[in-house]
Amino acid sequence: MNEFLTQEKSIYLQISEMIENDILRDILLEEERVPSTNELAKLYAINPATAAKGINILVEQGVLYKKRGIGMFVATGAKNMIKKRRQEEFFDNYIKRLLEEAESLGITKEDLIAMIERER
Amino acid sequence: MTEEKLVCKNIVKTYGKTDVLQNVDLELEKGKIYGLIGRNGAGKTTLLSILSAQNPATKGTVTCNGMPVWENREALEHICFSREINPMGTTGQGNAYRVKDYLRAAAWYMPNWDKEMAERLVKEFNLDTKKKVMKLSKGMLSMLTIVIALASKADYTFLDEPVAGLDVVMREYFYRVLLEEFTESGRTFVISTHIIEEAADIFEEVIMIDKGKIIVKENTQDLLDRAVHVSGKAEEVDAATSGLNAMRVEKMGRSKGVTVLLKEGESVQKNADITVQPVSLQQLFVAMCGKEVG
Repeated sequence: MNEFLTQEKSIYLQISEMIENDILRDILLEEERVPSTNELAKLYAINPATAAKGINILVEQGVLYKKRGIGMFVATGAKNMIKKRRQEEFFDNYIKRLLEEAESLGITKEDLIAMIERER
Repeated sequence: MTEEKLVCKNIVKTYGKTDVLQNVDLELEKGKIYGLIGRNGAGKTTLLSILSAQNPATKGTVTCNGMPVWENREALEHICFSREINPMGTTGQGNAYRVKDYLRAAAWYMPNWDKEMAERLVKEFNLDTKKKVMKLSKGMLSMLTIVIALASKADYTFLDEPVAGLDVVMREYFYRVLLEEFTESGRTFVISTHIIEEAADIFEEVIMIDKGKIIVKENTQDLLDRAVHVSGKAEEVDAATSGLNAMRVEKMGRSKGVTVLLKEGESVQKNADITVQPVSLQQLFVAMCGKEVG
């Protein structure tokens, strides 16, 4: 939760990603309360509406859920849910870009596979 | 019951032959922090002074919760415009008042004045209340206007360049105090600033004013979501952005960069030959209100 915000991406996306990272790293555990929008707003010096937007993305995905009058909680199974979604996005976020960069540098598919094998 | 809103309709302000504000329509809702940004002379201060009835409009009306604000004490109780303090006073004789006199006067004018809050902020800002206002540094003057604005507890509070003159640590402190007061009270704040980059995340909505006209009033995140910068070989950039609202074209040799404000449903077709980057509020502001380059 203490990562710096950058200009590279929408603030609310960064908020939801940071909460996801904290869940993946067991900083936030399942069925545990996550910081409120006001707490996040104060921590990052951002508008509470923006913090709420980041939280709502996770609520819509079922990663967080609301307990009336108490706050937002990490859903059971949230960690798996995040992992699965990130696996699905892995191709678009990493492989596609990797292939584009490889192509512009003239690195062939065989070269790429050889590099991966060497590293593993 | 009328909705709680501050509304101005068709505001025109003319000084001599210059139209400082041209047919400005604006609606401020309860419980939002608005950022007012514009270049020097764009009309920011004039707009805020008309909204708070410190200055008469040449044409148009301002209403607060349905009541006209001009010479209306009941409506003005909801509004505080904490202006930049001129340390030399209006008479040119110098301002003999001390900080505590200023605060006492503010307490007298503001029906909802929060004395405890004022005292707490004065302490945290390290303001010497015995000091003469004319002896205050620029930063301390900013702090005094901030104390008055926050402790006024007015439903609609306007701050004109509150952070000008504050060092970066005090600016951060101000943003936090503002957010704290905002989340606790649900008041409406309008904050004008030239330090756009660091304040952008504070604003729920941004109001951009250029040459006396409001050119943008939109949720800050929504606005940034539809702004992108596209760069690469000129032909590729042209192909990717054809038909889109491209602003501020920069060229250098075969290379070209444009800032694009997308409309609903539009997108820039990404490919390996162009770089598509997000745009910050400051960059977008320069693209929309700045001079053309190249």
